[in-house]
Amino acid sequence: MSKGQLIGILVVLIVIVAGVWYATRPKAPATPAPTTPAPTTAAPTTTAPPQTTAPPKKVKVAVMFDIGGRGDLGFNDMAWMGAERAKKDFGVEVTYVQPRSEADYIPRLRELAGSGEYDLIIGVGFLLTDAIHQVAQEYPNQYFAIVDSLTPDPNVRGILFKENEGSALVGILAAYVTENNKVGVVLGMEIPVLYHFEAGFYWGVNYVENKTGKDVQIIYKYTGSFIDRALGKQVSEGMLAQGADVLYNVAGLTGLGVLDAVHDFNVQHGKEFGPPFAIGVDSCQDWMYPGHVIASMMKRVDNGVYYAIRDVVYGNFTGGIAAYGIKEGGVGISGLEELQAFMQIAQEMGTELPDAPENIVAKWQQMRAMYPEEVWNTIEEVKQKIISGEIQVPTTDSPEEIQAIRQRYGVGVLGG
Amino acid sequence: MRLDLRRYAKPLAESALSVLIGVAVGTLLVILAGYSPVVFFKALFGGAFRSRNAFLDTLSYMVPLTLTAISFAVAARASVFNIGAEGQMYIGALVANAIGVMALPNGAHQVVAILAAFLAGGLWGWIAGILKAKRQVNEVVSTIMLNWLAFYLVNYVATYHLYDPKAPYKTEYVRETARLPELIPRTSLTLDWVLTILIAFLMFFLVWKTSLGYEIRATGINPTAAEYGGVDPSKVISISMFLSGGAGGLAGAFLVLGRFGFITTTLTNILNWGFDGIAVSLVGRNHPIGILFSALFFALLYNGALEVQVATATGGKTGVPIELVLAVMGIIVIAVAVPGLWDMVQERLLLRRKRVEVRGEAAGTVGGE
Repeated sequence: MSKGQLIGILVVLIVIVAGVWYATRPKAPATPAPTTPAPTTAAPTTTAPPQTTAPPKKVKVAVMFDIGGRGDLGFNDMAWMGAERAKKDFGVEVTYVQPRSEADYIPRLRELAGSGEYDLIIGVGFLLTDAIHQVAQEYPNQYFAIVDSLTPDPNVRGILFKENEGSALVGILAAYVTENNKVGVVLGMEIPVLYHFEAGFYWGVNYVENKTGKDVQIIYKYTGSFIDRALGKQVSEGMLAQGADVLYNVAGLTGLGVLDAVHDFNVQHGKEFGPPFAIGVDSCQDWMYPGHVIASMMKRVDNGVYYAIRDVVYGNFTGGIAAYGIKEGGVGISGLEELQAFMQIAQEMGTELPDAPENIVAKWQQMRAMYPEEVWNTIEEVKQKIISGEIQVPTTDSPEEIQAIRQRYGVGVLGG
Repeated sequence: MRLDLRRYAKPLAESALSVLIGVAVGTLLVILAGYSPVVFFKALFGGAFRSRNAFLDTLSYMVPLTLTAISFAVAARASVFNIGAEGQMYIGALVANAIGVMALPNGAHQVVAILAAFLAGGLWGWIAGILKAKRQVNEVVSTIMLNWLAFYLVNYVATYHLYDPKAPYKTEYVRETARLPELIPRTSLTLDWVLTILIAFLMFFLVWKTSLGYEIRATGINPTAAEYGGVDPSKVISISMFLSGGAGGLAGAFLVLGRFGFITTTLTNILNWGFDGIAVSLVGRNHPIGILFSALFFALLYNGALEVQVATATGGKTGVPIELVLAVMGIIVIAVAVPGLWDMVQERLLLRRKRVEVRGEAAGTVGGE
């Protein structure tokens, strides 16, 4: 390439860059910020926002995801939803940060805390625990919140959910629905949070066994990933091949593979409805494959995030544990209201629904009507007893204890 | 001296031009997505200069990038296309972690862990080298396979043997005695950064100032001629793959001893640096000094990738999603890597053409007789 040509290309490039710059300069870059729907059915707020007369000041919040990040139609998207709702309700400014690798966690948290611009920094996910703990110690005057975990620091709020309570309800459903008397649990990475799901689900299955005399076998599998949809499908196919006909997704994005596997299995066998059924998690995932997802264990990460921001806005943020169970609207089993709300949210997020909303609802109602009132009444009854405190669903954070729980209920690992 | 300057001027000019092309294409993407390219690129390239600590943290990204790039470059100098730095890094991380949890005195602990990781990574690389040297197994195929082998091996050992009983999703923390000290408190910049710079210069010395280095380069340029000159190409290839693997192993060791202190059982905290290293090396023209600059450039982008999200989130607007940032970064990286890749391909083609000519002449002579 001659020198002349080189200079020519350079000039052309500079002109292009300058032109583009000029073209974009005058008008303020105006992309419509993704709008979140009004919290129609969302936020069953038993903890009503504390009222203050003073107008809330302009609050800035940073939300840091872990490397799994947005797009899982569950955990991370729920956190985003909660922050967006707070943005709308309180006029706060929210900055989202999605790290590129785990090496980014600590440096970026330090940057955010060190800038002094944020009233609250929220870490979304257990895997950020160590990083938040370290940076919280370095910046004791900065408020943090972490979803699904806790640290001993007074300036960190651990947003926890009683997943065992919600899981107990879907466990009851699974035990009623299974025809082969075999159900499966597909899990992500082996972190303590997931033990809550396990313990609750096993308890729920066992509850029905005691009540009806049914003998249900449970298999579980840790896939080791929250972001590998293909892996989730592969593991689920293994469980389906072994005859499990209700699969509980406890694996974030990986878990969407559970839904895929169940749907594909039913299609291959010419079935319009399960069983096999999948059970969704985190958000209401019932709409994704109408007729194949019997229910979802809703974990309202959005509420946890929303409450944390609200408390900062009203000046009554506290560190320590904030645990949300069925009573506090933190977990629950999906119903018609949630189905409709989350379909609307999915649409507004730009996700295409598999069918017209009214068709999805019709099919969903048809699916649920396949099972007698007794099933739904039992679930409702246990739910009320959990709220009143009459029933306490077991849970644990320790590997040894979950091992003991698995043994107690005769739970086997897939392929083990 | 004049000549030297010219030699460096060409790649520098090419790289600068490539960055511009990358930015120009990236600009279109950013505009299409509805963001201001000025804010975007200012944050992407300038985020690291926001504060002293931001800059020092950015420098820390150079460590794995430089080492995995050196892993690629040493082999590339011997004309071996090693894409196994990723797996070599896993092995090094595992070994460093395993030794890091043992009880050893401070000082000796780090040295033992680092040397063992170097050795283990080196052996892992050497497997591909010896397969190529003795059995003509294509190194691209063998290193890809070895990457998976390393992944599952580390995955297995971490899940069943090295796991932390209190947190089974990761391995046990290495002891404090095995940690590399922070150079500057409250930053991720640890002693391994200094070691990495030293290793880059060591590679320069080794490849350009020693007879082994001469043999490596001679083999890389033309193995037949090198052999004729008394070089044993199979020895050179296996040695260069050992060194290459050793550099990969060091990358893993430093990630564990300097940065994390553990690996997750599915390796999520150390993934991908090995593949990033290939691009870093191509941009740095497989030259250790070039690699240092190229690693710095990548490190700036890596910091910028997060800064962009923060900088574009103003006035109630949601910032640029990471996917778009990564896409623009990818365009820039591809644009910048093209000249280096082009040189490599051209050299190979030239070499092949020459070989064919030589063979043709030889055949002609025989025919003539």
